[in-house]
Amino acid sequence: MKNVLEKIKSFLGTSKKEDGGSLPIKAVFKSFKEVLENNSRALEIIADMGEKLGGDYLFDINYIKGAYSELAGTVSNSLQNFDALTANKYLKLHDVFGHVDSQIKRLIYDVTPTPGVMVLSFKDITWNMFRDVGGKNAALAEMSNYLRLNIPGGFAITTSAFDEFVAENGLQERIRAIHDSSPADDRIFEEMRSLIMNGTIPEELDSAISGAVETIRETFGRDCFLAVRSSAEEEDGEHSFAGQFETVLNVPLDVKAVEDAYKKVLASLYLPGSVAYQAGLGYRIGDIKMAVGCMIMVDAVKSGVLYTVAPNGDRDIVVINSTWGLGSLIVEGQTDADMFMVKKEIEPELLGAKSGKKEFMVVNRKDGGVEKTKTSEDLAGIPSLTTEEVMELARQAVYIEKHFRKPQDIEWAFDKAGRLFILQARPLRGMEATEAGGIRHERFAEATETLMKDKGTVVQKGAGAGRVFVLRHPGEMDKFPKGSVLVSKYDSSNFVRIMPYVSAIITDVGVPTSHMASLCREFRVPTVVNAGDATRIFEHGQEVTVVIDEDGVTVYDGIVKELLKDNGKDSLKMEELYEYRKRRYVLRYISMLNLVDPTQDNFSPEGCRTLHDVIRFMHEKAVTELVVNAGRGNEIIKQHAAVKLDLTVPAGIVAIDIGGGLDISEGAGKAGFEQILSVPLRAVTRGMMHPGVWHADSVSLKVGDFFSSMIRMPDLTADRSEYVGYNVAVVSGEYLNLSIRFGYHFTVLDCYCSENARNNHIYFRFIGGATDMAKRSRRVEIISSVIRNFGFSVMVKGDLLIGRLANINRDEMEGILDQLGRLMAFTRQLDAVLNDDASVEFFAGNFMEGKYTI
Amino acid sequence: MSANKIMIIDDEKIVGDMAKLSLEQEGYVVETFLSAEPALERLKEEKFDVVVTDLKMKGIDGMEVLRTVKRLYPKTKVIMITAFANLDSAIEALRGDVHDFFPKPVRIKELKVSIQRALNGVQ
Repeated sequence: MKNVLEKIKSFLGTSKKEDGGSLPIKAVFKSFKEVLENNSRALEIIADMGEKLGGDYLFDINYIKGAYSELAGTVSNSLQNFDALTANKYLKLHDVFGHVDSQIKRLIYDVTPTPGVMVLSFKDITWNMFRDVGGKNAALAEMSNYLRLNIPGGFAITTSAFDEFVAENGLQERIRAIHDSSPADDRIFEEMRSLIMNGTIPEELDSAISGAVETIRETFGRDCFLAVRSSAEEEDGEHSFAGQFETVLNVPLDVKAVEDAYKKVLASLYLPGSVAYQAGLGYRIGDIKMAVGCMIMVDAVKSGVLYTVAPNGDRDIVVINSTWGLGSLIVEGQTDADMFMVKKEIEPELLGAKSGKKEFMVVNRKDGGVEKTKTSEDLAGIPSLTTEEVMELARQAVYIEKHFRKPQDIEWAFDKAGRLFILQARPLRGMEATEAGGIRHERFAEATETLMKDKGTVVQKGAGAGRVFVLRHPGEMDKFPKGSVLVSKYDSSNFVRIMPYVSAIITDVGVPTSHMASLCREFRVPTVVNAGDATRIFEHGQEVTVVIDEDGVTVYDGIVKELLKDNGKDSLKMEELYEYRKRRYVLRYISMLNLVDPTQDNFSPEGCRTLHDVIRFMHEKAVTELVVNAGRGNEIIKQHAAVKLDLTVPAGIVAIDIGGGLDISEGAGKAGFEQILSVPLRAVTRGMMHPGVWHADSVSLKVGDFFSSMIRMPDLTADRSEYVGYNVAVVSGEYLNLSIRFGYHFTVLDCYCSENARNNHIYFRFIGGATDMAKRSRRVEIISSVIRNFGFSVMVKGDLLIGRLANINRDEMEGILDQLGRLMAFTRQLDAVLNDDASVEFFAGNFMEGKYTI
Repeated sequence: MSANKIMIIDDEKIVGDMAKLSLEQEGYVVETFLSAEPALERLKEEKFDVVVTDLKMKGIDGMEVLRTVKRLYPKTKVIMITAFANLDSAIEALRGDVHDFFPKPVRIKELKVSIQRALNGVQ
């Protein structure tokens, strides 16, 4: 009776107990489920938005407003439950959510910066602000904030600031005079330049620039210099204005110096060459509003310019021009630079190199400004780039071009530390590729062998080709050759690391709403999940062509170039539509995933930049919170009725049912295997009872002092002494948290196994042992090797092992849990016989083959 | 035979832009309008084979477009697209002489099929 009352009490408990202790496990579990369900719904909405905004649908802003409003509500619900679950441990997440939410709303409701904002840090610039900061600044911010490329830090001075400057100095009248006098003579432009150079910086702008300069000092140190550059281009660089406006290099970090440079850039609107250029393009002189970019000056050892297309229009080739020091001589076409031609193949291939004389070079002067000096003979004679640097440039160039979807003209520099910086990227005009004719791939079914046809669930349509890389466990990802086709049993958000370089992804299992799936849509990587036995059909290293359309994935033997030309043609064309790009841009704050690896430092509320990040963070921490809470067996056992499990092996497990885990009558003290309703507990215990895995000569279940302190075994209290020495399972119909101590090692298994694959997880932790460290480590190695085979990502430190697996469907998971049950039983005393390293492979191999003799 | 002419009327530019791009790939001649008034003016000058119109618009709405089109060119087919929330009105439209209707977002492929059927005289 007491137990029933406790159950009810704990079920009704909504927050911390009165004594300040922890939440009742039922409440914890309820919040956990709420978080999962809301996150799940949120990911569905994200996937739907990805699909509807993918170019195959006509949509309007009402759709985006409606979908986003539901998404924001769902994430907000999830957050509330998350707070309850974690006892408000991550309140910072609210700020992050608020920030992302306001960014998204700004895009949806088309809000640009508050009128009058004069200076914006690059990190606060989003793409829709190009009218305020100019195309060049917008592109730099995009490459830094979104592509995460190495861009020197800095800030933009906006077109609002320009307007203020014009007003402050009464230039509007002069501009009208220019408009009225036709044709305007050069003197009037010269006068404009002088007025600008002698103009007063409005007070508000002055204080904004001071603030920005101070921030640079604080962030990057006092010793840096700035490059002050024009950013007058339109959003998509319709006209490049290349070289028409002034750039002031190596400006000291001093407000006056920056303001002088700023005025110099503004004045260049009225340089004779620039005026002629503007007139030639049909601009009325005086109409262009000039934004300016101030970025940290790279102390460049070598610099240059690259085009992502060859001069003859060949889009398979990257052309790199390079010289020592700064790149200004190349930009101005004044030096005989080195030239490298690289083929944009699966692995970039150096086609040719031509060494230039590089007679002169430009370097930063110590007190500011730059100077042209004669290149020393030993430098002039050797190529300015190593092959590795050429390849790195080519790879980044391809990445940038792929992102902006147009051939690019890119300025870059390597600094003394060998770091590559991108200084500018703008579209190369007049270089658009000629269209490839539409080729229907049905025809190729006859010409080449079809390895797989119309299989799987489509995540992202498209085509790709390359060598197959069969990923057996996540650790192998470091070896992934760029340009390969990734074939994996499971999907994983960790794939984001290789996403810019992967040609296509095929997984055996998986769902189209997983973290990985939304990344694939974001990166436009042709991807199909749930394709069955891809890991068995394809051979590692085999060349294939993958075509994914409405019907699923079709894979051809060998590389069929004709099929690749057609790749993503429709969506590429949609990208040309400004309205479409503008709308689609909102996804960057929604579906992009930056939090990939829970062990990385950025896995924090502060690291979240998108709603997907927020969801990912909550999911991970919700699981952790549950593991910790459900692992407090001693407290829980005081609150709940515990039931001994009567199994065919002496596993010594007591179960605490928090809802639907056991089929027993109230007050029953024992449950047999048949009465276990909890899906995961049933699977694990079935595994433990599998014939042959449990070896009878078990050691006694007592705890050595040293280990008890080390492994934090629940010290069961006196009033529940009948459970001393038992292992505790907290269960519901779909959930299991099992804390097991066999001899001197300690295992925690936490899993959620529902119909919704996305919500499912297995957390497996193993530590300890009675034998010496070498033997214990060998046992950990065996366990690690086995569970990697099941697709776990594994972290090992000495004799501690933590394995994680998520996003798998129920059937698959039951099979794995059965195997884990066997593994726990099999390895109980295995360390004692692990006398040498060879035994690791032996026993791991035996286990996988179902041989359990020791 | 000259290309079939399609008119798109939607008060959101993105809808017309995307539809135009997709339909021109199929060889249609496409004109887009952001409101019904200039579209109906244009219709007085020239016949279109299919008119795709949003239902809810400021000023003249899709129902009015449907009536005018049918009065001017009884053979021209009208396809209605509408926000999901306005489905009831769309069904009402269907009772009139509308060829087809779609809630937004509408799969472009389905719209293309519908236009093809309209041109072939298949209801």
